[in-house]
Amino acid sequence: MISLYLAQRTWLHGVPAGWKLLALALVSLIAAPLDSLPLMAGLLVAVLALYVSLGRAAVAQIALLRPLWPLFLILLAFHWWNGDVTAGLVVLARILAMVLLANAVTMTTRMDAMMDAVEPLLAPLGWFGGSPRAVALAVALMIRLIPLLFALWEALNESWRARTGKRGGWRLLAPFCIQTLRLSHHTAEALAARGGAPRGTRR
Amino acid sequence: MPHAPLIRLENVTLTRGGRVVLDNVSLDITERRVGLIGTNGSGKSSLVRLLNGLLAAEKGRVTVHGLDAATQAGELPRKVGFIFQNPDHQIIFPTVAEEIAFSLEQAGLPRRQAAKEAVPALARFERAHWAERPVHALSEGEKQFLCIIAVLVMAPAVLILDEPFSSLDLPTRRRLETLVAGLEQQVILVAHELDAFTDFDRVIWLHEGQVRGDGPPAEIIPAYRAFAEALA
Repeated sequence: MISLYLAQRTWLHGVPAGWKLLALALVSLIAAPLDSLPLMAGLLVAVLALYVSLGRAAVAQIALLRPLWPLFLILLAFHWWNGDVTAGLVVLARILAMVLLANAVTMTTRMDAMMDAVEPLLAPLGWFGGSPRAVALAVALMIRLIPLLFALWEALNESWRARTGKRGGWRLLAPFCIQTLRLSHHTAEALAARGGAPRGTRR
Repeated sequence: MPHAPLIRLENVTLTRGGRVVLDNVSLDITERRVGLIGTNGSGKSSLVRLLNGLLAAEKGRVTVHGLDAATQAGELPRKVGFIFQNPDHQIIFPTVAEEIAFSLEQAGLPRRQAAKEAVPALARFERAHWAERPVHALSEGEKQFLCIIAVLVMAPAVLILDEPFSSLDLPTRRRLETLVAGLEQQVILVAHELDAFTDFDRVIWLHEGQVRGDGPPAEIIPAYRAFAEALA
């Protein structure tokens, strides 16, 4: 789950990216094997408290979970059918807590700081002639383009509705892919105009 | 001794998708403010892409501020800044400071220093307060301005703007025109907004891959306008 960077500075912005990522990894490692509902519910409450401490804009980002509700319902239904609703609730609380926690990291960490923290882990790429910088750039581009892709889908949907009065739905997939390729072509050209993707691990 | 041209095209021919887009074009461009006009498909975009190394001429020779576009294409992006029509295609990073830092790094600064210099670089354009802003939260005009800052911090000798006004309202466009007018760089502007060229030194009119008119705006713009009206 990737949300957008929060422009207003919060205390979490000031925590070094490496620490945040490490904390995220540790919490997921610890939370993964635990299956006590009170513990998981406690974790979820703690994460929600973290959001509250970050301010209103952060709390508003929780709405981004909305598209995941069908998935959560299916998960719960599956566990109910298996006769263990408690296990379902534990899984649900864990997923919610971890997704929100990961989201809290992405919305308070600038891309370059994140990449600085992750780049040492990508260093082995260099041994095979790959470029950790190029991977870092690709990740930054991906995050940058997400709002654009949403806007592109919306624009296609609008054009469809303007002429049919109905929602486009799956029928927009093919034009969406074509437009996405066009977008990537333009972006690649703009990147080339500025000297192309950096190579090596210049620091 | 005559002044050496800053940009020179010698008998340049270029085909794209089986179509001749530039047909044996020769130009010497020494002026500081140069406009490029023509109907859609006349070859304007292709011509400016040759100057930045985005396209390579099949025949002929292109030199830009001492660099040969065929053999030194890799050095061109630092010499020739390029602004595209749609800023959303051009901005690479999620926040303004990162976008500027990337340019500084491309210009040769070590990474950490580039990150540190981003805010002072923005401050030179009175936009230091933009540093932490997510780029998707900027208006169209602000995005285009960011693209221009991101290119200018690389200190290019030439700035090419390829239809930069298309999505801008009139006040924003005027502000950008004022900004561009004050730059010390040589500027090559491709645009359909003909009044943008009033104070330019020279306007080149391309038609079907060839130079149809070339001279001061007061002479070329009315001729082009009459031609375009007749086509409509």
